[in-house]
Amino acid sequence: MAENDPIAEKTDEELAFEARSGSRRSFEELAIRYKRRLFVYLRPRLGSDEDAEDAVQDTFLKLFRNIGSYDPAYRFSTWLYTSANRLVIDSFRRGAAERAALASNRAADGPDPVATGESSGPGGSGLWDAARTLGESRFRVLWLRYGEDMTIEEIAAVLGRTRLAVRVLLHRARTGLAGKLGPAARRAARPQAETVRGAAGR
Amino acid sequence: MWCKPSRWMVSRSEDTGRKLPGFAGRHIGRCRACGEFARSSAALASRLRGERAAWLAGVPDFSLGFESDAGPAGTVGRAAAADKPASRRPRLGLRPLPVAAAVLVVAAAALVLFRSAPRAPAPTAQGRAAARAAIADLRSAPARLQGVLGEAESSLERERRVLEQSVTSAFEYLQTRLNIRIERKEAPKPL
Repeated sequence: MAENDPIAEKTDEELAFEARSGSRRSFEELAIRYKRRLFVYLRPRLGSDEDAEDAVQDTFLKLFRNIGSYDPAYRFSTWLYTSANRLVIDSFRRGAAERAALASNRAADGPDPVATGESSGPGGSGLWDAARTLGESRFRVLWLRYGEDMTIEEIAAVLGRTRLAVRVLLHRARTGLAGKLGPAARRAARPQAETVRGAAGR
Repeated sequence: MWCKPSRWMVSRSEDTGRKLPGFAGRHIGRCRACGEFARSSAALASRLRGERAAWLAGVPDFSLGFESDAGPAGTVGRAAAADKPASRRPRLGLRPLPVAAAVLVVAAAALVLFRSAPRAPAPTAQGRAAARAAIADLRSAPARLQGVLGEAESSLERERRVLEQSVTSAFEYLQTRLNIRIERKEAPKPL
């Protein structure tokens, strides 16, 4: 993306507002910003790269059709992830035949290489790779919380769950991640240890 | 005993920004495992946020098909057309000559129909006068109704007479033929 491109400096909400007014360039910019983020979010749930790419494309097509109903008072990312979630749920409900086909595709693709430890994942980040092995629902809440900086309320809205359910999932994800990282995490966290201990003591 | 609630409070503090309750703070200060959990939780958020960009950079890029001139809407149309399986319904093998003949026949039939059932002409002054006369004639119908009813009655009477004659001649024939006498019964006397 060119640095002097003014569209690159706009917020998601500004771009979505412009897209709602008919700007295709703004919509493309949103797609460029979010396609990989949405892909990593959907990939563990769908089981294969191809299915995840299709789901990302379907989500953006759905958004393009419904961009007129976007309310700029809300965050674009919340709207996007909510739409993606609903789309995936709809695709799972489509019928036994398609589910069977999906299962056979998964079997053909094999298990998630990250979950089986055969791959280090997209960018070789130990922490995010470890997060993917926690299970699909825990990874999703971690991604929405730390990958997208959503609040608990926003995550609850995206997933269609209560705030308490989201907090429980996050707590379990943290507990699981702390257990998986072990000494490496402790070494990385050491500089902050004294701060936390001090805050807890007060 | 206090490990689980203390860790839950650590998570709650991370999510809501609320202070740790006293019991949890004291427990974390004493319990080594819970202390580790609190430290890793605090580090986790910043590490996950920090590593996000690098992790995403490793995601292989893929095209959404929006870069084309037709835009997303055009992509939908093209994708749908490309994915659409070939129709199994046999196509109508229309041959030009029979179709032309059929069109001619239909056109000729339409012409004949339109000629045999022409549109009603627009009302003229004479037509309007005739219509008014017909309406006036209808209005005078009650005055003529008596005569019409009388004619209908006389016609019924004539019919009755013909029927009576037929029955009488039938009686006579039967009497002659069977050599019997059938007498007409007198009408019953009134009480």
